[in-house]
Amino acid sequence: MEFNEQDIVVKRSYKTVYHVGDEIIKVFEPTHPKVGIFNEALITAYVESYGVSVAPVRYVRCFDGRWAIALEYVEGITMAEKLAGEPENLEENLERFVDIQIEVNSFRAPGLRNTVDKRLEEIRGLEGLDASTRYELEQRLHGMQRHTKLCHGDFDPSNVILTPDGGYKVVDWSHATQGNAGADAAMSYLRFMLSDKKTADLYLKIYCKKSDTAIQYVQKWMPIVAAGQLTKKRPEERAMLESWVSVAEYQ
Amino acid sequence: MAASEVNAPAIVDSVEALKARMDQMRRAQEVFATYSQEQVDRIFKAAATAANKARVPLAKMAVEETGMGIVEDKVIKNHYAAEYIFHTYEHTKTCGVLEEDPVYGVKKIAEPLGLIAAVIPTTNPTSTAIFKTLLSLKTRNAIIISPHPRAKKCTIAASKVVLDAAVAAGAPEGIIGWIDVPSLDMTNTVMRDADCILATGGPGMVHAAYSSGKPALGVGAGNVPAIIDSSADILLAVNSIIHSKTFDNGMICASEQSVTVLEDIYDDVKAEFARRGCYFLKADEIQKVRDTILINGALNAKIVGQSAYRIAQLSGVEVPETTKILIGEVESVDISEAFAHEKLSPVLAMYKAKTFEEALDKADRLVRDGGFGHSSSLFINPNEKEKMAAHAERMKTCRIIVNTPSSHGGIGDLYNFKLLPSLTLGCGSWGGNSISHNVGAMDLLNIKTMVERRENMLWFRTPEKVYFKKGCMPVALDELGTIMHKKRAFIVTDSFLYKNGNTKPIEQKLDEMGIVHAVFSDVQPDPTLKNAQAGAAVMTAFEPDVIIALGGGSAMDAAKIMWVLYENPDANFADMAMDFMDIRKRIYNYPKMGKKAYFVAIPTSSGTGSEVTPFAVITDSDAGIKYPLADYELLPNMAIVDTDNMMTQPKGLTSASGIDVMTHAIEAYVSIMASDYTDGIALKATKLVFDYLPRAYENGANDVEARDHMANASCLAGMAFANAFLGVNHSLAHKLGAYHHIAHGVANALVLTYVMRYNASEVPTKMGTFPQYEYPHALARYAEIARYNGLGGKDDRESFENLIAAIKKLKKAIGIKDSIKEYGVDEKYFFDTLDEMTEKAFDDQCTGANPRYPLISELKKLYTMAYYGEPDENVTF
Repeated sequence: MEFNEQDIVVKRSYKTVYHVGDEIIKVFEPTHPKVGIFNEALITAYVESYGVSVAPVRYVRCFDGRWAIALEYVEGITMAEKLAGEPENLEENLERFVDIQIEVNSFRAPGLRNTVDKRLEEIRGLEGLDASTRYELEQRLHGMQRHTKLCHGDFDPSNVILTPDGGYKVVDWSHATQGNAGADAAMSYLRFMLSDKKTADLYLKIYCKKSDTAIQYVQKWMPIVAAGQLTKKRPEERAMLESWVSVAEYQ
Repeated sequence: MAASEVNAPAIVDSVEALKARMDQMRRAQEVFATYSQEQVDRIFKAAATAANKARVPLAKMAVEETGMGIVEDKVIKNHYAAEYIFHTYEHTKTCGVLEEDPVYGVKKIAEPLGLIAAVIPTTNPTSTAIFKTLLSLKTRNAIIISPHPRAKKCTIAASKVVLDAAVAAGAPEGIIGWIDVPSLDMTNTVMRDADCILATGGPGMVHAAYSSGKPALGVGAGNVPAIIDSSADILLAVNSIIHSKTFDNGMICASEQSVTVLEDIYDDVKAEFARRGCYFLKADEIQKVRDTILINGALNAKIVGQSAYRIAQLSGVEVPETTKILIGEVESVDISEAFAHEKLSPVLAMYKAKTFEEALDKADRLVRDGGFGHSSSLFINPNEKEKMAAHAERMKTCRIIVNTPSSHGGIGDLYNFKLLPSLTLGCGSWGGNSISHNVGAMDLLNIKTMVERRENMLWFRTPEKVYFKKGCMPVALDELGTIMHKKRAFIVTDSFLYKNGNTKPIEQKLDEMGIVHAVFSDVQPDPTLKNAQAGAAVMTAFEPDVIIALGGGSAMDAAKIMWVLYENPDANFADMAMDFMDIRKRIYNYPKMGKKAYFVAIPTSSGTGSEVTPFAVITDSDAGIKYPLADYELLPNMAIVDTDNMMTQPKGLTSASGIDVMTHAIEAYVSIMASDYTDGIALKATKLVFDYLPRAYENGANDVEARDHMANASCLAGMAFANAFLGVNHSLAHKLGAYHHIAHGVANALVLTYVMRYNASEVPTKMGTFPQYEYPHALARYAEIARYNGLGGKDDRESFENLIAAIKKLKKAIGIKDSIKEYGVDEKYFFDTLDEMTEKAFDDQCTGANPRYPLISELKKLYTMAYYGEPDENVTF
C-alpha cells in the first residue's frame, strides 16, 4: 500500500498516522518494538470485547518492513478540539469528559495487566531517578490496593472522539490496564496540568464530585503517574514532574 | 562456632545474597537462643556501651548522608537509644523463667522470636538502628536491618558498631545483619522471610509490613495537635513546643504539628513565640509556604528535616537566619489546608479557639485526618482535672502528653516515668497497628506459660445453727428472744399445717417472749412466684426481723424467696436463676441477705433438707418456668430439726421424701465435688435411710426412733448436697416431675438404679470436668457406700451389685412402683415430649456435678428404660 503525505493525520517520532478511506492506519517506525504494536492491537481488541465504545482494530500487518495497525475510522471531533473551541462551555464540556471517563472505568478488564505491576515496571526502568526516590515510589505503589477497573492510562481529551450522533469513541488504548480509577484520574490531571493549572483543578474537582472520590485518593497516585510521564523525557515537563515525584511519606 | 563456618556473602546486594545471609543469621540465632541471662546481659552492656561511645560520629554521618536534621540533636537521640534502653532493661529478665508462682503452679518462660526484620526510617536512622539492635540482643533474637537508601551508610554503620561490640562480648558472628544495597524487593523479602517485623516508618511501609503475612509491630504517621488551655503556664507551654518542634528540625513523629490556643491567651502566646525567635508568616507568605511544603497533598521531600530558614528560602520568604519555627496562623483544620498536615520540619500551624470544646474539636479532626492513634499534647493547669479528662477521652491517640515537649515526651522516660523508652511508637487499631504501646523488649519475646494442675479450694457451708432432737423447737426458739432480742416474727407455712395447729407451739413461744408475730399460711405445693410475691407483700408490710419457715420443701423454699423479695425488692429472678459452672464464678452475684431479717427453717417432713441447703425452687406460672435458685445467700441462719413436727407425715410422703434423702446422699457421695467433709455425712445418711425408712414407712407416728433418725438423715443428706451438689439423677427427676407431675422423691426413685449403672461405667463416653475428679471412679464410690452399709462383696463390682439390689429392695419395701408407666404417664405423650424433656434435663443445674458428663442421647435412653421399667442391667452404654 502507498501512503500519501496528504493523508497524514498526525506524525510523531515513532509513528505516522494516516486516514485512508474508512480506516485510520498507524504506521510505526522500524525502531518501534514489534511486541508493542501487537500488544496495542491486542489490548484494543480486549477493550472492544468488553463492550466499550472504541474504534475497532481491522488488522495488524507489515508494509515494507514497517508494522502498522489499522483501525476503523471514526467521524467526529476530539474532546480536545471541543474544549479549545468552546472556552465559554469549559465546565459543561469537562463534565461530559468526566462522565465518559467514569463510564469507561465502570468496565471490568480481566484480560489486562494490573496498573500496579505496569507502574512498578515503569519506575524500575526509569533512568535518572535516584535510588532513594525510586524506593519511596515503589513503597508508595506497594501500599496501593489492586483494583480491577478498566483504566485507559492516558485518558486525555485528544483521545476522546465525539461522534455526530452525540456518542463517543475512545481511542489509543496502548496504556490500558486494569486497576484503580484514581490512577487514571491522576494521569488525566497531570495531562491537563502540563498545559493549564486552572482547567486541571476544575477537572479534578468535577471528577472527585462525580465519582465520589476523595481528592487525596487521586493525589496518592500523582507521584507515580508523574514518574511514568518522566519516561517520555520531555525537557519542558521535567521540572514539574520532578517536583511531583520528590515527596516524602508522612511518619 | 557453627554460625561463623557458614559461607555467607560478604555484601548483601541481591535477593539471593540476602537469602544466604538470612540463613546464616538463623543458624547464629539458634546458637544465641541457648545463651544464659548472664551471657546476654554482658553482650547487651558491651553493645550499649559501644553505641553510646559512637554517638557523635554516627550523628555526623546521619546528617551528612541524609542532609536532614541537626548533628547535636542526633547525638542526643543516639545517646538516648543506647543509655535509656540499657538502663531500662539492664536488670530485666529476658531469658528462661521470668516469673514463677509455685502456689498457683504458674511459670512464665521467655524465648526469642527468631529472626527479626527491622525497617529503619531516614528521619532517625542511627538511633533507631541502635534501639532495635539492642532490643534484639537483649532478647536473644537475630535482626536483619533494611535501611532506607537515603540513610544506608549511617544505618549500617550504627548496626555494625553494635554487632562488633556484641560479637567481641561473645555473641555469635552475624547475629546482626543488613542489606548493603537496599531495594524495595529486598525489603519485602526481609519482611516475608523473617519471623517478626519491627517496622518504623510511614503508612506505606507499615502497610507493606502488615501485608507480608508475618507478624508485624508496625507504627503509623503522627500529626500531633497541641492545645494550650487558658489555665496553662504560657512560658512553659511555648518554650516546650519550641524545644520539641526544633528538636532535630522536627523529625520526631511525636513532634507538634499544630498548636491551638484559647482566645483569651492567644496574644500572650503569640508574643512569647515571637520573643523566642519564631517567625509568624504574613498572609502572602503563608501561601508561599503552603505551596512549598505540600505537593499534590504529599509532603515535599525537600523540606523534611530542614531548618526554618532553609524552608523559608525555598518558599521565597525572607526571615532571619536564626528563625526557629515558621508559624502559619490558619483557620482550617481540613486536609485542604497544607498547614494541617504533618510537616516533619520546624513549620507549625497555629489556631485560635473560643472555647476548650472548640479546641478539642480541632485537635480531634487533625488527629483523625493525619495521625490517628499516634500522639496528642495538652498544656494546662494540672488542677483542671475535668478538662484533662475530657481531652483524654476525646483524643484517639495512644499517647496523651501533658505539659511536655511532645517529641521528648512521646519517646518516653525523658520527661516522664513509666512510659517505656522507645523509638517505635504503637498507634493501636486506629493506626492499623497490633499494639498501642511503645515497643519494648517484651514485644520481642515469645512467653511460654507453664501451668500445672491445681485443685480448687472447696468448702463446707451450713447454717450457723443446726438444732436437732425431738422436742427441741421451743428451746431453740428461745434464743430469738433471750439472745437475739428479736421483736417481730413472720411465720410462713401452708394451710394444711396451719389448720392442723402446727404453728401453735411456735406462736405460743413467741407470745411468751413478747415477740409480735404474723402468719402467712397460703404457701401452695410447688409454689409460684406470684404466691411468693403475695407473701412477700404481707411480709414487707409487717417488717419482721425474723422469718420462721415451717413446712416441707415448698414452705421453706417459698419463705426463702419471700426473704429475697423482702430484703431486695429489685432482685431479678431470671438473673438469679442463671445456671453456673462454678458457683464462685457465676455471672450474677446475689444480693447480701440478712440485713433485715434472720431466717429460721423448721422442716415438717424428712426429705428436702431445705433447712440446711442454699437452694430454692420457684415456678413462674406466667412464663411456665421453674427457677432453681442456688446461692449460699439463701442458706437459712438457723435450722430446727424437731421430730415432733414430723410425726404425722402420711405414708406416701414418708416414702417419697425418704427415697429423696437416699438419692441426695448417694449423688452427693459420687459427685465430682464430693469431699472428706461431705462423704462422712452422706454415708451416715445412706445407712440411716436403709435402717429406718422401712420402719418409718410401716410404723408412722408409732416409731419415734425411726422418725428421729429419718429426720437426721434428711438434714445430713441436705448438708452433704448443699456442698457437694447432686447429679443427673436429680436432673432427670426434676424434668420428669415437671412434665408428668410425678412426686419429686418418686421421680428420683424411678431413675435411680439406671443412673447408678450409667455412672458406674469404667469407660464413660465423657467424664465430669473438675480438677479434683482425676479419673472415672463412680463404681468404686458406689462400692464404698455398699461396704459402709454392710452389703459386702468380694470386689467393687459385686459390692455395687449388692447396693443396687438393696436399693431395689428398699424401693419395694416403701411401695415405689417399677416404672414411669405404672404411674399413669401416657406413652404417646411421654415420647412426644421426650426429646424436649431430655434436652432440658441435660441442661439442668444438677448435671454439672455428675461424675459422668452425659450425652443427650444417653439421657434419652435412660428415660426410655425407666419408662418401661426395663432391667437396669441393660444399661451397658
